[in-house]
Amino acid sequence: MNPDPFDALGLPARPDLSDEQVRSAWRAIAAATHPDRPDGGDLARYTAASAAYAQLRTPWARSEAYADLTEDGEPDTSPLLAVPADAWPPPVPPWQPLLNLAWVPARIRRGRPLRLLIRATVAAALSLVVLHLIPGTAAAPADVGGLIWWFVLTGRKDLAPPPER
Amino acid sequence: MSVWSWLKLTMFLWLLRKTVKFTGGLLLAAVLVAAWPVMLVAVIGYLAAWLRGWPPVRLYRTAAWTLPVTAGWLIIVEVRAPGWRSAALTPGRAWARGFDHLTAAGLAHTFALLLPVAVPAGLALAGLAWGWRIYAVTAGIGGWTASAPISFDARQWKRQVRAAQGLNRAPGAVPLLARGGRIPVGATIRAIGHRWRPVFALPAEACARHMVVVGATGSGKTNLMIRLWAGWFTAALQAAQAGRGNRPLLIVLDCKGGRDARSKADRTRRLLYGAGARRVAIWPDEARLCLWDLPASDLAVLLYQMIDTGTGAAAYYADILQAVLTMAVLAPCGPPVNTAGFLDRLEAKWLQHAWSDGRHPAELAQARAAARHLPDIQLRYATLLGRLGPALDGPGTLAEADAWYCILEGTREPSVAEAQAMALTELAACAATSLDGEPRVMLLAADDYSAVARRVPISNLYERGRSLGIGVQVSAQTWQGLGRDDDERYRIAATADGGVFVLQAPYPEPLTVLAGNRRVLETAHKLVGNLWGDEGTTRIQRTSVADPDLIRHLKVGQACYIHRGAATFVQVARPKASPLTLLPAPAAEPLVQVPKPRREPDPAPPAWPQGPASLDDVFGSRDEP
Repeated sequence: MNPDPFDALGLPARPDLSDEQVRSAWRAIAAATHPDRPDGGDLARYTAASAAYAQLRTPWARSEAYADLTEDGEPDTSPLLAVPADAWPPPVPPWQPLLNLAWVPARIRRGRPLRLLIRATVAAALSLVVLHLIPGTAAAPADVGGLIWWFVLTGRKDLAPPPER
Repeated sequence: MSVWSWLKLTMFLWLLRKTVKFTGGLLLAAVLVAAWPVMLVAVIGYLAAWLRGWPPVRLYRTAAWTLPVTAGWLIIVEVRAPGWRSAALTPGRAWARGFDHLTAAGLAHTFALLLPVAVPAGLALAGLAWGWRIYAVTAGIGGWTASAPISFDARQWKRQVRAAQGLNRAPGAVPLLARGGRIPVGATIRAIGHRWRPVFALPAEACARHMVVVGATGSGKTNLMIRLWAGWFTAALQAAQAGRGNRPLLIVLDCKGGRDARSKADRTRRLLYGAGARRVAIWPDEARLCLWDLPASDLAVLLYQMIDTGTGAAAYYADILQAVLTMAVLAPCGPPVNTAGFLDRLEAKWLQHAWSDGRHPAELAQARAAARHLPDIQLRYATLLGRLGPALDGPGTLAEADAWYCILEGTREPSVAEAQAMALTELAACAATSLDGEPRVMLLAADDYSAVARRVPISNLYERGRSLGIGVQVSAQTWQGLGRDDDERYRIAATADGGVFVLQAPYPEPLTVLAGNRRVLETAHKLVGNLWGDEGTTRIQRTSVADPDLIRHLKVGQACYIHRGAATFVQVARPKASPLTLLPAPAAEPLVQVPKPRREPDPAPPAWPQGPASLDDVFGSRDEP
């Protein structure tokens, strides 16, 4: 593996490159060096660029690769680009809480799904017991509602936090 | 009165007392048995509070959270049989009917029917009983032995710590940012004077003011500070995105330096990227700043302060130095743009030429008078700026990144680190007051500032930050590290309106004094032999809100937050960005499968020529003539 994946893609060694920059660099090198080219391409360079792209694909991975690189190598002290004011995401819309519901499956998966499952099982089993013991009474829906309420209140902490929290 | 009569009277009074007490207990037991569903919930609640070290308020709040269920039940009863009488009588009827079927199924049936009422009532009752128990033991009127208050407190502390650690392990319990822009720090162990919440969270404004963190090495200070930085950054960023403020700019001065600082910087950077930062610069390893961008007058003062100047007779040379610097930096042609340019100006020829335009005769005369000192001054600055390295020589400004992690080698090269700290705080001040750029809300955090505090006292940093509207967070390993003398230390700690975090420290007393005292009851019992007698006294005493002995024995990751005469002990949660933000590292294999090159089959090697049958065919036969 190339010790400097940024170099393999012809990019400056910076952790703040965008996904699009990395992808463009990879595509340019791939187009120029692919082994299927009529001139046979450059297999070694193509392989190195592919591996580097796989290594630098996400922001987190770029940060890691950068940290590894700067441990031993010379630091890059070229000036940073100014953060453009319009590069920031638009203001949060008021209906964002509703949109956040879409994150719930991922939050469950990244949280403690087993504990949530146990909680849900306990709540469901007790609800069944209540419905079996006091069917048709006013207390039955209240008890079941109370168990759901308990599940919601106590299960929140077993979910992973939403993004950027 | 005869002795016999006195004995009879005494016996009668004793019996009367015991009878009244027994009857009272019997009545209470009867009520408790009669209201068994409520009692069952109360016992469960009481045991949970005892085992988990909860304060009574937690039981009250839980009871309050169950009231919506009770309200829902009342609505259903009202819909089915309108009129308040039916709602009022329903639990009583269910309870009375329960005594007709004293079987397990019958009792479960009755309990299920009464749950909407029994749960809030039982939890409230458990809260009252638990509150009374805590009061009785701590006031010295409960417990079996004289040491009961001490052992009760120690046992409860252990349980509270265990419960807090358990809560911290839950993935969603302590995020980087909570609702209302609050910064969660960790699970609450114990709150004294503050409102108790399961997770202790600070308002983001507290970080935007002045805060002090004191803790010995290895006490968990780094985790706490990184969490506060990330929380503040997330809160400020979200407020900016919602249009409620300016974008944040976090400047961290890691004044100790070394390899640890690099890994800390990397960790902070990852966390800030997860919190939404676009650029986190680590200075001087990967980014530069430009000292020469400072306004000329500020630059002249800063350059003067960066050099050690003596007092007494040496003040003469200090004055010459200042005059030369002022002339070099404020020359009519403009301030220097880099180190080389500045050093060039410290030559007699340059200075005299620069001020020889005919309009500055006084400065020209000064340049001539100082000419013989200029080589020395140039040498001193060449040495200083050479040691500072190129990281302050630009190009680069603080506005280019969302956060700057500045590593100063305060342990290895204190004098260089001090000069760097001065320059960086000046640059931060310039960024805060600059009218040209985008306004930013700033937090200047100085970790282990005592390593460089000789030349820039923390109190100056504080006062500077306050006047510029910058939040300042300062950490030190000990109380002594906060300042040169007690006056300065006290000034720093007492003006920390964002609060003081004390982690395990050998001498926390001066900081705990800030939390003040609280009134407690102290009960003395008369001992009869080895047992307590019936008589004793109770008096009001004062004790520390933040117990210094408790702080001295804090474990790693435990902190005491002191603010406005109250204290909260907290188990600091390790800061982690949401896993939904930080995507997992890609798999080891390349994303794009490398196709195998098309290879033509290797050509077969040419066949060996048909060899002669024998060497005689080549060389001829010996027999041949």
